Amino acid sequence: MNITILNGDPEIGDTDFSRWIEKLAESYETDNNVKVFRLSDMQLHYCIGCWTCWWETPGICIHKDDAPEIFSAVINADFFIFASPLIAGFTSALLKKITDRLIVLIHPYMIVKQGESHHRKRYENYPDFGLIIQKEADTDEEDLQIVKDIYDRLSVNFHSKLRFMKLTDQHQPEDIVYATHHF
Amino acid sequence: MRLTIFNGSPRNKKSNSKILTEKFIEGFNEASDDQPEVFYLASARNREMHLKAFSESETCLIIFPLYTDSMPGIVKEFFEMIYLSDLPRPARLGFILQSGFAESIHSVYLERYLKKFTRRLKCEYIGTVIKGGVEGIQIMPPSMTRKLFKNFKAMGKYFAETGQFSPEIMREFAKPYKMPILKQWLYPLLPSSLHNFYWNANLKKNNAWEKRFDAPYKL
Repeated sequence: MNITILNGDPEIGDTDFSRWIEKLAESYETDNNVKVFRLSDMQLHYCIGCWTCWWETPGICIHKDDAPEIFSAVINADFFIFASPLIAGFTSALLKKITDRLIVLIHPYMIVKQGESHHRKRYENYPDFGLIIQKEADTDEEDLQIVKDIYDRLSVNFHSKLRFMKLTDQHQPEDIVYATHHF
Repeated sequence: MRLTIFNGSPRNKKSNSKILTEKFIEGFNEASDDQPEVFYLASARNREMHLKAFSESETCLIIFPLYTDSMPGIVKEFFEMIYLSDLPRPARLGFILQSGFAESIHSVYLERYLKKFTRRLKCEYIGTVIKGGVEGIQIMPPSMTRKLFKNFKAMGKYFAETGQFSPEIMREFAKPYKMPILKQWLYPLLPSSLHNFYWNANLKKNNAWEKRFDAPYKL
């Protein structure tokens, strides 16, 4: 399988969370082709809502930065992972920055899905994804459910499925590898 | 009431959020002599000023569009900044969440987060106004935006008078929750050009029509 990991740890250098993600990548590498993006090491701009990617250069973002490498790795993956420590009860702004930019992979035209309006696919297939998060000191069950529900919604718009949400303090990288191959 | 409004649209001063904010303030000014201050989060170099303004405000509203099912990255960056700061926080915090999708179901999941986030900050939660179907208001004829603008103005006036969002207008804004059954049934029967007029007009204007189905990252 081609697996892409988006590591949204905003801290640079060696952190518990990024060490955990590195171990996960190593665990995956036994049987898979893995690409890990440490977003804090990349030059990435925020989406500015200009819609150049929808109506001027369809499928191509206006920003000239490192994001196209991620777009390609996500859309060509068999599975991908959003990974981030929780900050203020949600995944990091850094991870959200690249998530917003993923609209480049979707088409502006509208369709009806689940009794709601959604944007149609630009690509034939979209990979399912997993979510790996590190809790904060005050994270509770309500926070976890909110995060999971929002990523579930994202999967509807991304024509995909959220296959699991795992916590770094409750799971080992090997559990993620197992979950990736058994959903 | 000392009101501070943060506009979290990545489109900055060209945003639909700015237009809605202006209508809200027009109504607010009908009932209050206080002039709300407005800050734009897309101006990233002003972050320290934003933090200071947030910490010094008494009542604060944050207006932004729904981006990939939650807050835009710049808004999350601001949330992290105010959450991690030791500075004082406003007594009261509320949100106006607007979206291009017509149905409010797209936004209700984030509303839960905003409520919890406000509790985390130990501010009083004023509420979250959810309004869908906002994209395109800058090119719509006045007949199509009249009711929306009138309601935002009324919302601003009510807010100045009571310090709350009007429950009646909130209920009105939140419709439809999902696409009405009849529309779901009719939608596939109508030509795509009707649903996608806005996109097609811009694709053609930009000479991008022929490339509209491009999939450049597929290997």
